[in-house]
Amino acid sequence: MSYAYLFKYIIIGDTGVGKSCLLLQFTDKRFQPVHDLTIGVEFGARMITIDGKQIKLQIWDTAGQEAFRSITRSYYRGAAGALLVYDITRRETFNHLTTWLEDARQHSNSNMVIMLIGNKSDLESRREVKKEEGEAFAHEHGLIFMETSAKTAANVEEAFINTAKEIYEKIQEGVFDINNEANGIKVGPQHSPTNPSLSPNGQDRGQGGGCC
Amino acid sequence: MSTSRRRSASEAARPSTRCSTSPTTRGRAPHQCGPTLRSSGVPAVFQRPGDALRCHHAATQVERLVERVQCSTLLEDRRDACRALKALSKQNRVEVGAQGMDALCQVLDLDRADSEIVAYALDALCNVMSPDTFDEEEHPTAYQGSKSSLGEQFTEIFMKQPDNIGLVLGFLEEYEFQVRWPALKLLTSLIHNRPRDLQEIILVSPMGVSKLMDLLGDNREVIRNDALILLTHLTKGNANIQKIVAFENAFDRLFDVIADEGYADGGIVAEDCLVIVHNLLKNNTSNQNFFKEGSYIQRLSPMFALPSNTEEIGWSSQKVTNILSSLQVVRMLVMPGNPAQVTSSCQRTIRNSGILEALCGILMASGVPVEVLTETINAVAEVIRGNPSNQEYFLTVMAPCKPPRPALVVLLLSMVNEKQPLELRCSVLYCFQCYLYKNEVGQAQLVQTLLPSSAEVGTGTTGHLLVSGLLSGHMLSTWLSAVALSHALVENPAQKEQLLRVALATAPGANPVSLLHQCCTMLEQSNKVQSKVGILMLLAMWLSHCPLAVRELLSTPSSIPYLTAQVGASEHQEHEELLQGLCAFLIGICVTFNDDSVPSYTRENLCQLISKRVGQDMFLDKLGEVSKHELYSKAHKHPQLQASSQEQLLLDHEFCKLFKALEGMVIKAVTPKEAGMHNGGTELTLTATESSLLLQYKELIRSQDYQLQEMHQKLQQYESERQAYQAHVEELNATISQLRDQTRLLSAAANTGVTNSLSSDIEHLSIAPQEDTIRSAEVETELDRLRKDQEDLLVLLADQDAKLNTYKDRLRQYGEKVESDEETDIQNGGEC
Repeated sequence: MSYAYLFKYIIIGDTGVGKSCLLLQFTDKRFQPVHDLTIGVEFGARMITIDGKQIKLQIWDTAGQEAFRSITRSYYRGAAGALLVYDITRRETFNHLTTWLEDARQHSNSNMVIMLIGNKSDLESRREVKKEEGEAFAHEHGLIFMETSAKTAANVEEAFINTAKEIYEKIQEGVFDINNEANGIKVGPQHSPTNPSLSPNGQDRGQGGGCC
Repeated sequence: MSTSRRRSASEAARPSTRCSTSPTTRGRAPHQCGPTLRSSGVPAVFQRPGDALRCHHAATQVERLVERVQCSTLLEDRRDACRALKALSKQNRVEVGAQGMDALCQVLDLDRADSEIVAYALDALCNVMSPDTFDEEEHPTAYQGSKSSLGEQFTEIFMKQPDNIGLVLGFLEEYEFQVRWPALKLLTSLIHNRPRDLQEIILVSPMGVSKLMDLLGDNREVIRNDALILLTHLTKGNANIQKIVAFENAFDRLFDVIADEGYADGGIVAEDCLVIVHNLLKNNTSNQNFFKEGSYIQRLSPMFALPSNTEEIGWSSQKVTNILSSLQVVRMLVMPGNPAQVTSSCQRTIRNSGILEALCGILMASGVPVEVLTETINAVAEVIRGNPSNQEYFLTVMAPCKPPRPALVVLLLSMVNEKQPLELRCSVLYCFQCYLYKNEVGQAQLVQTLLPSSAEVGTGTTGHLLVSGLLSGHMLSTWLSAVALSHALVENPAQKEQLLRVALATAPGANPVSLLHQCCTMLEQSNKVQSKVGILMLLAMWLSHCPLAVRELLSTPSSIPYLTAQVGASEHQEHEELLQGLCAFLIGICVTFNDDSVPSYTRENLCQLISKRVGQDMFLDKLGEVSKHELYSKAHKHPQLQASSQEQLLLDHEFCKLFKALEGMVIKAVTPKEAGMHNGGTELTLTATESSLLLQYKELIRSQDYQLQEMHQKLQQYESERQAYQAHVEELNATISQLRDQTRLLSAAANTGVTNSLSSDIEHLSIAPQEDTIRSAEVETELDRLRKDQEDLLVLLADQDAKLNTYKDRLRQYGEKVESDEETDIQNGGEC
């Protein structure tokens, strides 16, 4: 349960690019071919290990629809990482990346790590955006890049974990102020002496017995 | 940007009131004069003829000030006028609000750099839109006739321009106390007056929620505490705001505040925090997940730690409230309506973090106020509901009395105690139900305590308490015990049969009576509706899906006559329809689950009895009364009883579920097949399930028909194939006999000069291949060989013939005469 660090992520990008499916694949290791539209935001969490340290990822999956844009903007500020997702079979979702990126850069803290993700790599026959184009965009804007498939789970783990690695490195370099929770990073309560969790079998019954 | 938009909007609204006198000295656009009372569209209800003169005086004073605020070129002038407006805003609230609203908003926009004037404007707006009425207010009664208060009406006007909210939110970022605080207070007034609208506006204003959340970090307690109050309203019933607030580390911040305030001993601030936590979790699965994943459940546990000297120091009312709020938070995580996966994982965490143990500690502690005790029981109920491991733990909790008794027994004691408050008794029932929910072991253990074979039979067991409560004669105890007992039977056929073995010694020396029999007797003898309803629900639960129990009831002599009489009667007592409906339901169950083992009350006999004594339609009408009862839908909706008075305790949740499941079956069972309609009705009269069943069967028949046709075709195919094979066999036979003939012919032809073995082979061939078709191949190869041999022989013959001719020629050359032999040679060659 205890963790060394906690990172907050957001997942952004056009509607229907597979944001919720990426999250589901990462947290539950399953794929849901039919998914409802996300309303507002949904929460998911998972523990990963980097450099031998337990890191808890808290992920907010946002709605891609324009109508929710003003709501989802509220989530940029407090996030340490963002997955910016487009669909390799729909060129327009790639074309909108600039808008998304501007929005993110404007509302987030400057150190937020952004990972560009071209999703649906399993649909090679319907591909409209070349991998090189994604790489070029990422290079131009200083993002990490990866093509994933939420369906086959290809690169999904890597996408989330590589983003975490990048954040972790930035912490090691001292770029992030880890005491400011507005950065989306929290230091874990590992060695906290006031850990309130009691044993389930009630070894503390000596104390508790007073009121029993 | 927003300034020009605002101005152009207001210009469009009132183009004639432009004030052109003031020159622009500071690069400001010309100000506009304020509206007059009439042109501003303020409801006429604000004006009262009696106060006309004074009103007029105040109005002109305000009008002058407003003009100064809007038109003065000097900041000092505007500031003074604003200060004066603020000073008047309580006493002359109507005038300042009606005339000064636009001017004050304009100050917020254009003079935002000067914190002093902004502070005055915010203060004035606060007063104008306050939900309260001020003592010094000039005509506080002026608007009493109106549906909404003065503050509400001004709030509506203020919020028509959403940019105004953006301006006020912007001032939250101003650190200066005299600006930040009134801005916060103004927002609190606004949300008090128009919560939904303000929620929507804040949600879409850039970083609106975040700005508010930042106030929790303000080291000035007033600001932090007022921000908490604002959040309690803002987070109510808006999932999107709830999620953003949670995202902004609300749980961390709130628990930090709670800890600073001293947990349960904290003041009203701790309560505010708990209310916000509660709001954030209410009907919000995403936040519930986040709460659990973020290990915040553990942070709740200090709330329930009772100091050892609680009894001496007593319970302050604030502490009671704080603990109640914390219990509400716990329940929010494990509510029966939540997704099952959230509930079960939260139940596990609540147990592992020691909270369940702490709650059970409160249950058994002395001197706990009854409302805390009741809510704790409810919380324990939901934490153990349907969770085997927590249920098991709960069973082991012991009360600290001498000798120690299980907590469950102590709780049931208060349930059947007439002196305990109603809420407490209901909560115990709920807890007991939750303990038995999906708990077959618990159900079996309870029934076990009642069985004669058991060594445990004694006065202190759960089963004994319930049965004595059932027989107590107090109607509420009877009802509660009957319902509790019925939960031991929910979806558990084995225990239904076990409970039949329970016998009671009602009077010393008398023969023991079975529990079921006793229930029937009580039903007939009692004249209290609540008791009867309780017993009827118990019997219905008991008899459903249990033919043995049905037989037992039918064997009780007066039971069926009593039930039919009840359904048919019209005694006009309270809740008569409900009682009759329940009786009808019980009869229906007796028909449905009847194994025809009681001769006088077979399925058919009972149906006849119904149509003779009650009448078919009447019976169905009465049955329908149950689900029409006002308490039915309420009980069906939620497992917990929501009763504010004893009279409201009639129907139980599990019973309603049973009724809903069985109603259709019962109707079908008691509706006999009408004569002349062999199929029992047309398709039109079928229920949805029946018609779907019918469709299924039709489909089945259709597919079987298709299969049959297919089989037929295959059969024909095989038949023709068989004939073909037959023909083939005959053909082969013919070939064989043909070959046999040929062989004979050949053997006859080749008998001259052919070896003995050959002739014997041919002999063999002529006998052997009579029927065997396989042998014919052998014969054929043999034949081939023979033909070859024959050919070889013929070649040999030709050679010898040639030699013969040469010899003949030579003989002729030597002068010999040769003639007779030649003719036979030619004859031989021709035959071949």
